[in-house]
Amino acid sequence: MSSPKALSRAPVKGKTDGAKPAVGKTVASKPSAKKPAKAAVSDDASPTPAQKAAFLKAMAAGVKLNTAASRSLVKKKGSPFAAEAPKPTPKVEVLRRIPAPVKVVDTPESKTALALAALIEASIDARELGKVQPHAQQALVAALCKLYAAHAEAGERFDILGQRAATVAATDVMVMCGALLKAVDLQVFELGMWQSWSSG
Amino acid sequence: MAEQFVGKASEFKDGERQIIRIGEDEIGVFRHAGEFYAYSNFCLHQGGPACEGLTIARVIEPLREDKTSMGLHFHETDMNFVCPWHGYEYDMKTGAHIADPRVKLRKYDVVRKGDEVYVVA
Ligand code: FES
Repeated sequence: MSSPKALSRAPVKGKTDGAKPAVGKTVASKPSAKKPAKAAVSDDASPTPAQKAAFLKAMAAGVKLNTAASRSLVKKKGSPFAAEAPKPTPKVEVLRRIPAPVKVVDTPESKTALALAALIEASIDARELGKVQPHAQQALVAALCKLYAAHAEAGERFDILGQRAATVAATDVMVMCGALLKAVDLQVFELGMWQSWSSG
Repeated sequence: MAEQFVGKASEFKDGERQIIRIGEDEIGVFRHAGEFYAYSNFCLHQGGPACEGLTIARVIEPLREDKTSMGLHFHETDMNFVCPWHGYEYDMKTGAHIADPRVKLRKYDVVRKGDEVYVVA
């Protein structure tokens, strides 16, 4: 069986080839020269809706469902088979799976550190800055500095603030970094040089 | 609109996401704190993959009585997801942009039938 498109065009072709006088008549009444195929069909040659339906029925008789041919048939406007078209069920396609963030391992020491962090944050919120005295802060900062560097040297690099970066102001970071550099008598250009020589 | 099977709840870990396509729609299905949420993966800013970026707790800035800031903190329960292109941040429960809640991602209903999860699309 030839394609439905080819078949539906067939009557037009026949008329154009075999009946030239009719062409003249139609073209005269419709001067548009851009669409010769349409103009070539004279009024009395146009199939009636019933003929069109019969033609489509005849075509569909030999067309299997869910084939390209059947789809092109039911897509046609006013096709008597449109209602018979199987409703396409949207298929679910999984494009990507994004795993959950890695679960943290909570050691007793981590729990203690987290509790201490919460306590410090609470003291800042309450503006009770004297709660954690400078000597205690120095001990904490020194210990954390060594711990982070030891991890980095062991190849266990991680983001120093992680998502908590969203809760620390850039000014706070600059104040802290400046104070750390000053504490060990380093200039900013020395830090820059060291970073350009190493992967730090 | 029909219910489309997207997977089993038991195979969908908490915090996990799936980007699926149903017909023409690309949808991000989230599981957060035991609940399922599904949104269009088409960012309202410039069409980026809105559901594929960072998930992060909402950052809040509580004020003291005298209206001074207590600094930035994470919200204890509210979660957001961030479009990876330019950082539009959407609320996990509503799909609304956190700065302007009138801007909302298209939300799809998620139906659970026993262990099976369906998205209505
Ligand atoms: S496209 Fe999503 S933030 Fe710009």
